[in-house]
Amino acid sequence: MIFIVTALMLEAAPIIDYFKLKKDMTIHPYSVYKGSDIALIVSGVGKLKSAMASVFLYNLYGSGKNDVLINIGFCGTNSKRFNTGSLLIANKITDIDTGMDYYPDVFFGEGIPQIPVQCYSKVVKSTDLTEQKELFCDMESAGIMEASKKFFFSHNVLVLKIISDYLEPEKLDKAKLKSYIEMNMTILDSIIKEMKHLNEGFIELNLEAEKDLIESLCLDLRFTQAMKVILTKEVKRAGINGLEPLSSLKEFNGIKADSKEEGKKYFEYIIKKIRQKSV
Amino acid sequence: MNTLLKKSGKNLFNSIYIEENAYDYPITRMVLEKFPDVPVITIRNYKDIFNRGNQCFQLQKHRQSLILAVKSKQFLYKSPEVCQDFGYSNFYYTSFILNCIFNCEYCYLQGMYPSANIVAFVNADEFIDEIQNTLAGKKAYLAVSYDTDLIGFHNVIPYWNFLQDFFAQHPDINVEIRTKSANEVFYSEIQPAENTVIAFSLAPQEIIKKFERHTPPLAARIKAVKSAISRGFKVRLCLDPVILNSGSEKLYEPFFRNLFAEINPDKLKDVGYGFFRMSKDLFKRIEKQNRKSQIFADDYTIKEGIVSYPPDLIKMVMDNHLKVLQEYLPKEKIFTL
Repeated sequence: MIFIVTALMLEAAPIIDYFKLKKDMTIHPYSVYKGSDIALIVSGVGKLKSAMASVFLYNLYGSGKNDVLINIGFCGTNSKRFNTGSLLIANKITDIDTGMDYYPDVFFGEGIPQIPVQCYSKVVKSTDLTEQKELFCDMESAGIMEASKKFFFSHNVLVLKIISDYLEPEKLDKAKLKSYIEMNMTILDSIIKEMKHLNEGFIELNLEAEKDLIESLCLDLRFTQAMKVILTKEVKRAGINGLEPLSSLKEFNGIKADSKEEGKKYFEYIIKKIRQKSV
Repeated sequence: MNTLLKKSGKNLFNSIYIEENAYDYPITRMVLEKFPDVPVITIRNYKDIFNRGNQCFQLQKHRQSLILAVKSKQFLYKSPEVCQDFGYSNFYYTSFILNCIFNCEYCYLQGMYPSANIVAFVNADEFIDEIQNTLAGKKAYLAVSYDTDLIGFHNVIPYWNFLQDFFAQHPDINVEIRTKSANEVFYSEIQPAENTVIAFSLAPQEIIKKFERHTPPLAARIKAVKSAISRGFKVRLCLDPVILNSGSEKLYEPFFRNLFAEINPDKLKDVGYGFFRMSKDLFKRIEKQNRKSQIFADDYTIKEGIVSYPPDLIKMVMDNHLKVLQEYLPKEKIFTL
């Protein structure tokens, strides 16, 4: 599942349109929009809100190791290296309040410039700056990173920033900002595809059906916890070696053992069956 | 030169992380010159990157980043028992680099570190000072290509260029550089020395293909061995780890015979021989990563905290293998573990 967090509805609207997401009317604390494998939440401004929204979204739909968390939003900068509307990838996020640094593994978006982002608790204006160092400022990225640390692999979190202004927030124009998101939608789409592709290529051995069957066999055949561990390992090994452990397990489905001794005999028989290549 | 290093810098490293205090070192400047297109990220401490939670080792392995750092303490370590000491009681190792550019399926580094990124320490001089303080005047053995492959990494950072003069002045410190690299350039660039052994890890080609991803093929490694010998280097062959997987023990006799048909055994310093083995904790950690690894799904025996093949099987296979090896080398030149 791809989770997208934006601070503002203004940022979310073009994404909702592009991916044809539908509002989940059953959810009240936040505005959540859903597609088949994308969920978007509008968090509100600030790192606390972005962290809360990320966790809320993960709790709603999170499914496992391959979930992806993307923050897309605006950042201001004092650098004239990039035009407003430019899309950048954050490779380092510094929480200005705590001094803490966060580092997502950036494996995506070849050709998109990478920048360090400073996450502030309030809007930064050029008049606030005391030094000339190049800065890229936002208000959500640190919250995204803190939340992602618990639930996502470091390569599955991505902070995408679009330059909104040169630290002159009073000059922002809503229509222009929306157009910045719109013009970057095809790139966002291709990055999402890249992230999905990478995770698909790295899928673990799928033994979900076997796991369910092991659970019921352990109950019916009175296996101990230790026997369950051994059986699970045997099934995994068979799967890695290209055998079909499921068919062996199925043969014993529905059988009940009257005693632990009887269960032990079944256990040895099942292990033997799984190990046979001809199964 | 191995194929990994033939690629452009952009492909070789995903990013280069540099500690704030590591910029002002010659190694850092050298790396930055070599890889101008790779994104550079300034960090406070390499552990902020290297020890993060939720890193996917195998995925990072395909897109390794380089971390340049300044090592602050403990430059030398006493060697663990699972390593062959080749008869030295003062057996130490040092790690100029953490992690390896290769990706061998049996490698313990997968369980040892939370990250597959490569940490390269830039303060080589401080390593040398510590080696001098601890080992000078002692008859010692020092493994310098530990937890990494120094020769495989030579085209990125030529550590040996910083070290060879020091070791030339300390003949009592015997140095082993272990490698799977076929980088022949190394042997033309550096000088052979009495106290330096190049230890080539070799395996049957089928094992290399199956379990030693991204490493040079056997033929290329044999060529490098010959090149090192012809340039006057002392050479050790490490036939370690022997992998017993789906009847693979049968691959070894023809492999040994082919090896000694190509390489004159009289020209070798010695040979190391050992089976796949790993501490229980590291093994469990790697097994938990749930990869589709045949090696970590196999049946093993745990003895004194070490996971390996059952002793009876080891004895049987080793007896057969040693018989063959002893046709080429005297017993005292074969070290087993």
